[in-house]
Amino acid sequence: MRSYLLSRIAQLFLTFLVIVTMLFFLFRLGLPDPTSALITEGLSQEDIQRTQERFGLDLPLWQQYFVFLGNLFTGEFGTSFHYRAPVTAIAMDRLLNTLAMMLPAILLAYTIGPLLGVMLTWKRGKGVETAGIAGALILRSAPVFWTGMMALFVFGIWLGWLPTSGMRTLPYEASGFWDKILTLDYLRHLLLPMMVVAAYYIALPMLIMRNTLLEVIGDDFIEFARARGFSEGRVMYRHAARNALLPVVTQAAVTTGLAVSGQIVVEVVFSWPGLGREMFRAVQTSDYPMAQATFIFMALLILILNLAVDLIYGRLDPRVTTKAGH
Amino acid sequence: MSRHHRSALLKRSAALLAATALIVAACSPAAVEETEDPPETDETDEAAGEVEETEPAEDDEPTAAGERGTIELLTTTEGYDPIRYEAAFMIADAWEELGFEVEVLPTEFSTLIESFYDEQDFQAAVVGWSGRVDRLDPQHFLGTLAGENTDLGGNNPGQYVNERYDELFAMQRAEGDQEQRREYVLEMQEVAAEDMAVNVLFYRDEVVGYNNTTFEGFTEMSGEALYNEWTPYTVTPLTDDRMLTIGTPEEPDTINPLDSTTVWGWKFMRMYYDKLVRLSEDAEPLPWAAESYEALDDTTFEIVLRDGMTFHDGEPVTVEDIKFTYDYFIDNEFGYFMPFLNMVDEVEIIDDSTVQFHLETPFGPFPNVTMAQIPILPEHIWAEIDNPQDLAPDDIPTVGSGPLQFEQYDLGEYKSLTVFEDHWTADDFEIDGVELIIYADSEGVFTGLQTGEIDMTAWRMEPGQINLAEDEDDITVVNAPDFGYYHLTFNTDVEPFNDPEVRKALSHAIDKNTIVDVLLDGRGEPGTSVIAPSNPFWHNPDVTRYDYDMDRAAQILEDAGY
Repeated sequence: MRSYLLSRIAQLFLTFLVIVTMLFFLFRLGLPDPTSALITEGLSQEDIQRTQERFGLDLPLWQQYFVFLGNLFTGEFGTSFHYRAPVTAIAMDRLLNTLAMMLPAILLAYTIGPLLGVMLTWKRGKGVETAGIAGALILRSAPVFWTGMMALFVFGIWLGWLPTSGMRTLPYEASGFWDKILTLDYLRHLLLPMMVVAAYYIALPMLIMRNTLLEVIGDDFIEFARARGFSEGRVMYRHAARNALLPVVTQAAVTTGLAVSGQIVVEVVFSWPGLGREMFRAVQTSDYPMAQATFIFMALLILILNLAVDLIYGRLDPRVTTKAGH
Repeated sequence: MSRHHRSALLKRSAALLAATALIVAACSPAAVEETEDPPETDETDEAAGEVEETEPAEDDEPTAAGERGTIELLTTTEGYDPIRYEAAFMIADAWEELGFEVEVLPTEFSTLIESFYDEQDFQAAVVGWSGRVDRLDPQHFLGTLAGENTDLGGNNPGQYVNERYDELFAMQRAEGDQEQRREYVLEMQEVAAEDMAVNVLFYRDEVVGYNNTTFEGFTEMSGEALYNEWTPYTVTPLTDDRMLTIGTPEEPDTINPLDSTTVWGWKFMRMYYDKLVRLSEDAEPLPWAAESYEALDDTTFEIVLRDGMTFHDGEPVTVEDIKFTYDYFIDNEFGYFMPFLNMVDEVEIIDDSTVQFHLETPFGPFPNVTMAQIPILPEHIWAEIDNPQDLAPDDIPTVGSGPLQFEQYDLGEYKSLTVFEDHWTADDFEIDGVELIIYADSEGVFTGLQTGEIDMTAWRMEPGQINLAEDEDDITVVNAPDFGYYHLTFNTDVEPFNDPEVRKALSHAIDKNTIVDVLLDGRGEPGTSVIAPSNPFWHNPDVTRYDYDMDRAAQILEDAGY
C-alpha cells in the first residue's frame, strides 16, 4: 500500500511537470508576444524595455522557463500583467468564491442525482422513467448560458425574487471568507447560479446510477433480498444502490476537479467573481500569468482528486487491488 | 416587453457563444490569426492573351481588379470589433472597383497593434484612438502625424512627414498663448488633410444610459460620456438613496497612481485625488488645487496653492507635497505620465504658497496637460515607499485631497467613494457619494440598469441594448460624441501609399456616411480631422474633405498615371 502510494505520487508529480511545461510553452509560442499585451498604445521604446525587464520578458525563453519552474514550486505564480499584483493571492481569492458556488451545486447534484437514478430503475418501463430520462437529457444538452439566462430572466427580472448578479448585496463588510458566505444574503445570491449548475450536473449521476443499477438488479443477491420479503424500495435503495455507487464516485471526483475552473459561462452570466470569470478576463486581455495560474490550479486539483478516487476505490470495492506491481 | 427581452437574451446567447469561442480560440495556437481568402483576381485579360493589352484602358471600361496593384488592409477580428471588421470589407470592395486587388486581414488585436506600431509592417490599417481626457489637448493627436514620432514603436506608424507640419508642431508646443497656439493647430489640420496624411473614418458616439427615476442632472462630456469628474457635482437624487451607483463591465487594473495605465484605473482615482488644474466639461483648464497659475516665460510656470486644503487623513496640503509629487513621478520614471513630465527640469518652492516649474524646453500646454493630469500625493505617506510598483494591492495608499474620498474596493465586485466634507467644494454636492458595481460584461451592467440595481452605465451599451433601453420609460439613453476616432492609416513609406494622389483617390472611394449610418446605426459622425468637432476650440471645420465620389477617385488615379 505504501509503495503504491509513493509510486502514484511520483507519477502525479511527473504528469504535473509535463502539464506545466506544455502550458508554459503553449502560452509563449502560440500566442502573440506578451509584451504587446502589456504595452498600451504607443509607449516609447525605453518604456517598452523597462516594462519587459520588470516582468522578466527580456530574458531568453529557456531562462524564463526555469524562473517559472522555480517560482512555481515555491507557490509563486508571478505578477499579473493586468492587476500588476501577485497572481497567487488574487487567484486564491477567486478560487474560494468559485468553490463556494460549485461545491454546493455539485453536492446537490450528486445527492439528488443518484437517488433519482434509483427511482428511474425502480419505475422502469413506466412514464416516470421516460420523463426522467428525457428531462435529464434536456438539462444536460441545454447550453448553460441559456438555462442561466432563462433563470435570470424569470426569477431575477420578471418575478424579481432573486438578485441577478454578484455574491452579496453591495456594499457589504466581511471580516473573512466565512463571514462573507455564512449569511442569508449570500444564500439568496447563491440560489440562481447554483441551481443552474446543479441542473446541468444532475443528469450525469442520475443516468450513470440508472445504467449501473440495471446491471446490478439482475444479480443473485437482489433476487435473494426480494425473496426475503423486503419492500422494493428497501431492496433498491439499501441493497442495489450501494453496489452501483462506484462509477458515480469516479464521476463526482472528476466533476469536482473540473469545478475549480468554475462554470465560466455561469460566472459571467451572473457576474460571479470566481476563477472562471477571471480566466475569461485573463485570456481576453492576454494576462498570461493569471491565465497560466488558473489552468495550473485546475490541472493540479484534477490530478489530486484522481489519485484520491483511486485510493477510495480500494476501500469501496475490495476487488480493486492497491498493491504495486500486481 | 417579453419579445424585447427575448431578443436581448438571444443577443446575449450569441455574445456568450462568441466569448466561449474566443477562449477556445485563444487557447489554441493555430487559431491566433484568421485570414480571409484573397479575393479572386480577374484573369480574363491574361486568358484572352490579346496583343492589344498594352493600350491604355478606356475610361468607360470597368477596371479589372488587381490591375493597379495589390493592397493588404489590416483590421480587427470580427469578435473584437465588428464595426472595424465590416468597415474594412466595405472599403476593400470600393477599392477593388478602382482596380486594386485588396486583401483584408482581420488580425487578433495585440498582434495587430504589434504589426502596426512596433513593426510598422502594414500597407493600410483600420485602427482607433480612444478619447482619453488628457487627449482633449491637441498635443497628443497632432503628435500622431509628427515626423519625430516615426520611429518603430512611435505614435506615427504611417510615417507621414511634412516639413511645414513639423515646424507648426514645434511652434504650437512652445506657444503659451492659447489663441496663437490655436492658429497653428488649425493650420496643421489643414496641412494634414491636404496631404491625406491619415483618413479619419468616423467618431463614434458613446451611447450610455441612466435611470431617470433615481437621479437627474447628469453631465455629459466628450469622450467621457456620463462617468466623468463632473457628474457627481451635478446630479440630484430623486429618492432617498443619495449614493450614485454606476455599473461598469471593466475592472480597473490597479488603483496605484504609480502603476495604473488604464482609463478605468484613472477615471476612479481622479475622483479622490486633486490636481493643480481641472478640465471643465468643455475641456477648459480651471485653476483647482492651484488657486492661480501663470506662465512667467516660455519655460517657467508659477502656481499659487489654494489655502486651507487638507488630505483625507487630516494633514494639510503643502507646497512640499506638490514638489514631492512631481519629483516622485519623475524619479520613478512612471511611463504613463512621462510624456507630460519629461520636459520638467526642476520644481522649485518659492514660499509657503508658491511653486515654480522650470522646463527644459518650452511646453505651452503644460497647465492643460500636465497640471491637469498629475494627482497630488501626500508626501508623508509616499516618501517612505521606495518602489511604489512593488506595492501589494492591500498596501496601496488611497489618501488624496480630492472632493471624494476613498471608501472601499473589493476586487471584481465593488468600489465606493464618499464626499470629503473638508473639501472646499463639498457644499456643491447633493449626493453622499459614488459607488461602482463591477459586472462580468456589459450584459450584466444592462440587467443592473433594468432591475434598478444601478443608476447609470459607466461604459457604452451594445447596439441591441440601446433599442431595448429606448423602449423603457425609466431609462434615458444619451448619445455623447467622442473625440477619439477610428482611422485608416496609410503606410506612407511603402507603395502605393507613398504617393499622396493614391491616398486621395482611395479616400474618395470610402463611403463614410454609409459606414456611420449602417455600421454605427447613425450614432456617430463621419471623420474629417484628427481633432474632432466635439473638441470645438481646437477643431478645424474647414479642412479639405474627400467626399464619396467613385468617378473622382478614378479620375485622380488616371491623372496620376495609374
